Order: sequence, then structure tokens, then C-alpha cells
Amino acid sequence: MFEGPIQDLIDELSRLPGIGPKSAQRLAFYIVKAPAEDARRLSEALVAAKDKVRFCTECFAVSEGDRCRICRDPGRDPTVICVVEESKDQAAIEKAGVIKGRYHVLGGAISPLEGIGPDDLRVQELLDRVQRDGVQEVILATNPNLEGNATAMFVAALLRPSGVRVTRLASGLPVGGDLEYADEVTLGQALEGRREM
Amino acid sequence: MQLVWLEARDFRNYREVRVELGAGLTAVAGANGQGKTNLLEAMYYLCSLVSPRVSSDLPLVRAGADVAILRGEVATSGSRLLIEVEIRASGQNRVQVNRSSVRRKRDLRRQARAVFSSPDDLAIVLGDPGERRRFMDEAFVANWPAKDGAAPAYERTLRQRNRLLKDWEGQVGSGGPPGLEGWDAELITNGVALTELRAEAVERIRERAASEFEALAGPGGGTLLVAYQASVSGDPLADAFAAALDSRRADELIRRTTLVGPHRDDLGLVVQDLAARGFASHGEAWGAAVALKLALAGALANEIGQDPMLFLDDPFSGLDPARRERLAGGLAERGQVIMSVPDLAQVPPGAAVLGVEGGSVAQE
Ligand SMILES: Nc1ncnc2c1ncn2[C@@H]1O[C@H](COP(=O)(O)OP(=O)(O)O)[C@@H](O)[C@H]1O
Ligand SMILES: [Mg+2]
Ligand SMILES: [Zn+2]
Repeated sequence: MFEGPIQDLIDELSRLPGIGPKSAQRLAFYIVKAPAEDARRLSEALVAAKDKVRFCTECFAVSEGDRCRICRDPGRDPTVICVVEESKDQAAIEKAGVIKGRYHVLGGAISPLEGIGPDDLRVQELLDRVQRDGVQEVILATNPNLEGNATAMFVAALLRPSGVRVTRLASGLPVGGDLEYADEVTLGQALEGRREM
Repeated sequence: MQLVWLEARDFRNYREVRVELGAGLTAVAGANGQGKTNLLEAMYYLCSLVSPRVSSDLPLVRAGADVAILRGEVATSGSRLLIEVEIRASGQNRVQVNRSSVRRKRDLRRQARAVFSSPDDLAIVLGDPGERRRFMDEAFVANWPAKDGAAPAYERTLRQRNRLLKDWEGQVGSGGPPGLEGWDAELITNGVALTELRAEAVERIRERAASEFEALAGPGGGTLLVAYQASVSGDPLADAFAAALDSRRADELIRRTTLVGPHRDDLGLVVQDLAARGFASHGEAWGAAVALKLALAGALANEIGQDPMLFLDDPFSGLDPARRERLAGGLAERGQVIMSVPDLAQVPPGAAVLGVEGGSVAQE
């Protein structure tokens, strides 16, 4: 334990995902020792991000405005929706450059152990979009791990009555892994080789 | 395969020790509590990165120290591995093989192969089914290190599905919790994989264990039958699994837990026509426990084309003199074997001897 502001900073940092007490301490001391200018830029970026970053009202990806760049782009096919867990997965898939349609960010994956159920995800919003926009294909690009697979199954079952074509990434991605760690080529192949669910 | 030398620093009760090991049989001799098991544990840990005794690394680091260091060299038929391990009381361990870092246990385990037998293995024979499931999992991971994710993957699926069933607030008549079918599919995929691995591992061990047991027990000493009792069987297995889940669905919703799958497997062990658990004498049970590990070593030798390193901790403890002699007699043909005995009188003829006393080793 340290005194005052440095301990407050350590405590705040260690609340972040993936940051343990040791890393929090390392980051805190780095920030304290860095030039005042750096620390101010960091704090401004934090506040600005929190103030300005919105979630797209259409697809729920992070966005600067009401609707994100992709949803505003008339060149993107509105009848194809690629469903991902988080915005970072959308970014990874965009890099592969295979998807000509739009996205839908669920906001996570079903995980009873973490208390995340279907109601915590943007599933109803997806069903609404499919109905409203005459969607032809929904590509389920949740992570190729346990929770991602179970979520894909769940969403596929809900989509089935609508008659829309539902596909899933081809296997070939590292099993149990996260999309964000797959390289562009592998990810591109998994998307192109997608199969019916 | 041969462990050529081992150095340990701040491991268990050893401050600093170095031993050289021969290709054949070595006996580690010493009174109780001197560090025999600790020394065998260090050797096994070096090769497999898991302790045969404890699941956390904390007890491995000498009381008062922060880091334990193990180094050693393993000679296989095709290569030499310099293995260096730093075990930290808290934080990540570091492992290097031939000076490059190794991230996953399996990357070492597929090169250095070892089997460890100890009196704790009595639990495989006498304990509850969970002990036997653990043994089956150990057996397939020893044979196919790349499959080390199969049991954890099933375990996690099971916990997810059980939690879903448990937290569900609906009524039994109203169908199941939403999303259950996704977990069914994952349970089947991961459950089939685990079942098949266990089946194959037991298949490779079954007959070997029977003949090891007979060789140990001697003429008229009885038989050991080993059989995999899978929770789900049928062909194709995935369909049988789905059908079994279907037929237990109503029950599962009432009891709020998963009733079908390899978490309900067992390994049947029958000694002298009676279930070993509950009927076997102490000596018979110990004979069965040793036979299972010797059979695993035999299966491994067959799989990789060379003998794995074999560690036998106190193998004589539960055996009568005739059985001790029969066990010792067979050890010469098993490649490198390192065993512990409580006194010099029990060292088998022809064995090299390491005398252990209070955390130091005298090479004789
Ligand atoms: N982390 C540790 N630090 C110091 N001593 C330890 C540690 N773990 C075990 N010991 C000591 O090692 C001794 C047991 O050694 P062990 O190898 O099991 O004996 P044996 O020769 O009977 O096989 C005990 O005296 C125990 O206190
Ligand atoms: Mg001992
Ligand atoms: Zn959008």
C-alpha cells in the first residue's frame, strides 16, 4: 500500500479488465514519472473518449456520431449483416476486407458463469433489423470459443423462423481463440468459407 | 529417454543439489522425511511442468525463498534437451528448452515423456470415480500432449451449462432456460472428444495392466480387469449423446444439473472377480495402482518408440517380499527407472544409489 493519490491511481487502474495489481502499480509509477504533458494528454484522451464516443444506434459499434461510418456508407450492402461480439472484432474483420455488408455488435457472448444471459445482449435489436431491412444473410462471427459458439447457436435458432440465410465462420481459426488475435488472411478465409447453420 | 543430470535450487527442502543419473535403474534411499519424494518430484516436474502431488506451485518453492530453479538435461533417441524452469511462489513461471522460451506445457511434454507412480495412486483404485477420471485424463495427455485442452474445455462447458440450469427461474413445464440448446451442442462436441480420448487411452492400457498385475502377483495371485465405463456410448457417439440428453431433459430441469456426459464416467477395476474398490486387500489395491502406471509407461513406449522416464516413489511400501522381488526383477528392462526406498537394504541388486539425508544427496 502507498499513500494518497498514487494508491488511488493504482486502485483505479487495477479495476480495468486484464490489469492485475502488479501491472496497475507498474503503470501508475510510469505515469507519475512521465512528463506532466504526457499525463495531461492521457487524462484528456480518457475524458474525450468518454464524452464523445457513442454507440451507433443502428449496429451498436463505437461511433463518433449517431450512426457509424459503415452504417452511413451507401456503398455497403444493407442486406448482409455480420454479427460480432465486440467493436474490436468488427475492426479485425474490416481489416480482412471480405465483408461488403454491415455489422451488428452484440455486446458480448452468453456466459452463465459471468451472469451474461441473452437479455444482456443486443439480440432483439438484431431480429428487428432483419425484419425491417429485408436482410438476406446473417453471418455469425462470434469468437470460435465455447461462449461464442453457444451464442451463435442461440442467435441462429431465433433467426430460423424468419427464413433468412444464417452462416457461421468456417473452422480453421485457432479453436478457443479470439477473433482479434487471428491474422487477416486466416480471418478472411474463415469468412469466405462460411457455412450454413 | 533419460534424465542425464538435474540441478535444483530452493526446491522443497533442497537448497542446492546436483545429481547425475544413469540410463538404467537408480534407487534413491533415505529415511522418512529426508527428501526422496521431493527429489523425484523435481525430476518429474522438470519433464512435465506439473507436480504429481500438488496442483499449485506454491509448496514447491522452499519455505523462505521466492523462486525455485530446476535445470536438467534429457536425452531422447533423437535429441538432447536442456530444460530450465523457474518456479515462482507468486507470478508466472519461466521455462526454457535449449535456451528458447516455452509458452505452453505441451511444447515440452511432447518432447520429454515421463510417468510417475506413487502411493497416492492408491486413490485411483480405492477413491471415488473422480480419481479414476483424472487418471484416464492423465493417461491420454501423456500419450497425446496436444490434447491437454480436452478435459478443461469439457469442464468449462459443463460449468456453464450447470450454472444456466441452476439460475433458471422458469417452471419445468415451460421448456428449458433460453440458450440451452447452444450449450447442449457444445457439451456434445466437447464430451464426444473427451469420451473418445479416454476410450482410446484405456484401450491402450487395458491388457498391459492385466499382464503387469499378473507378473507382480505371481502364479495364482489373481487377475486385474480394466474397463472404461463411459456415461455415453453408441455409434455415432454424437447422436447417442444427443439422444441421452434428450431422454434426461425433464430430469435435468428438475434437478437443475447435467446428468449425462463424461463427468459421470468411471474406470472399472476388477481384482479377482470383485470390484477393487471395496473388496481388494491393501496389497492387491497397491498392486493394481502400480500396474496401471506401469501399463501407462508401456503404452507410452509403444506410442513414441522409446521408453519414457519412469519414476516409482516408494513402490515397495505396500508389497510383500515376494512381490517386491518380482517388481524389482522386471525394472531392468524398462529403460531409465528412478525409484525411492526407505533403506539401503531394499535397494535392488545392480541399481545405482543416491543417498538422501536432510535435503542433501550423496552420490555413491
Ligand atoms: N516448500 C518446502 N520448503 C521446505 N521444506 C519442505 C517444503 N516442502 C516439503 N518440505 C519438507 O520436505 C520433507 C518431506 O520430504 P519428502 O521428500 O516428502 O520425504 P521422503 O524422503 O519421506 O519422501 C518434510 O520434512 C517437509 O517439511
Ligand atoms: Mg516419500
Ligand atoms: Zn453502425
